[in-house]
Amino acid sequence: MNPFVTVWDFFGRLYHRLASPREFYKISRFTTPVFGLLFLLLTAAGTYLGLFVAPADYQQGDSFRIIYVHVPSAWLSLFIYVVMATAGAIGLIWRMKMAYVVVICSAPIGAAFTALALITGSLWGAPIWGTWWEWDARLTSELILLFLYLGAMALYYAFDDRKTGERATAVLAVVGVVIVPIIHYSVEWWSSLHQGATVFRAGGPAMPSSMLTPLLLMALGFTFFYGYCLFLRAQNMVLHNERNSRWVKDLINELE
Amino acid sequence: MSPTQKRRFTIVAIILLGVGLATFLALRAFQENIEYFLTPKQVAAGEFEPGQRYRVAGLVRKGSVSTLDDGVTHRFNVTDCKFDVTVQYTGILPDLFREGQAIVANGAFSDTQTMIAAQVLAKHDENYVPNEAADAMMLAQANACDDATDSVSY
Repeated sequence: MNPFVTVWDFFGRLYHRLASPREFYKISRFTTPVFGLLFLLLTAAGTYLGLFVAPADYQQGDSFRIIYVHVPSAWLSLFIYVVMATAGAIGLIWRMKMAYVVVICSAPIGAAFTALALITGSLWGAPIWGTWWEWDARLTSELILLFLYLGAMALYYAFDDRKTGERATAVLAVVGVVIVPIIHYSVEWWSSLHQGATVFRAGGPAMPSSMLTPLLLMALGFTFFYGYCLFLRAQNMVLHNERNSRWVKDLINELE
Repeated sequence: MSPTQKRRFTIVAIILLGVGLATFLALRAFQENIEYFLTPKQVAAGEFEPGQRYRVAGLVRKGSVSTLDDGVTHRFNVTDCKFDVTVQYTGILPDLFREGQAIVANGAFSDTQTMIAAQVLAKHDENYVPNEAADAMMLAQANACDDATDSVSY
């Protein structure tokens, strides 16, 4: 048996199962607590290593430790938008119900991470740069990302018909994805107050592993938190969207 | 993919390409306005209008920092190791301000070489270094221009 075909087949089947709201609901009942647990474990380890084990920075002192919230939040703010855009395209092309659910449910989580990145960055900028806010390319483009997320949320609820709202939001998600490379490369394309990349740069991370390990743990933990929130929200939305279908009614009868 | 799906795929791809191209052209047109600061090299080449406000960024030149008699006005050179701009600033300098540190000065030029700054910000770089190595790092930072033969980036 060809292992590649088997793996491919497995993901193919998983994709088709996840495409069905009912199957998604069954799978997510299992995966949601797993994501939650992984989030707790990874973030607890990252927080401990980041706050108590990692050495202080030579010029920022202990205030550098805000990186353990700021950088994972900023990465997630970009990652979630890419997920939204991909799901949006899948929804628009294949008219897949669950893809729209992913788009709608991701938006508030992405908005929260973007806001967190902006707030923690501002808190760090005040003592280090000497300013809370500057209109440089990185800060401004990240702020635009926040408005894109808020716009996607508002757009969905602006339509009385759910399907129209889903499609409009998916279009915004796809079109808005141009902001992602702009944010990422803003510190390379233009001069900015914000520093360049520390981790993903030519020549390896400009940070010793004692500082880097907690950062990667936190980033992974935050990603599972996104998965956890997404699946919880998606469960809710699936039950709401499918409230007239037989399987949801059966589920409610079981509970009663 | 069915023909309908192929058509929708093409539409999504065309929209993405169109938006991407439009954004690319717009950003190219705005290029200079998106730049956050001038470099000392650009100042030396005269790429500024007198009286207008600009930001200049560079390393604080070793041995150039002096405080005037009033005790709150500072004069120092920012440099890319090749070209220098003199900055005069009245106020409290950021905590990170020291020789070799990259800073951003915001103000207007009083003549071709001197900027009267209204604001001085520290520009942190991408390097994170444990405390134990602080002395060596500070020394290396202060001497950053010693071996430089051409303009450095920061």
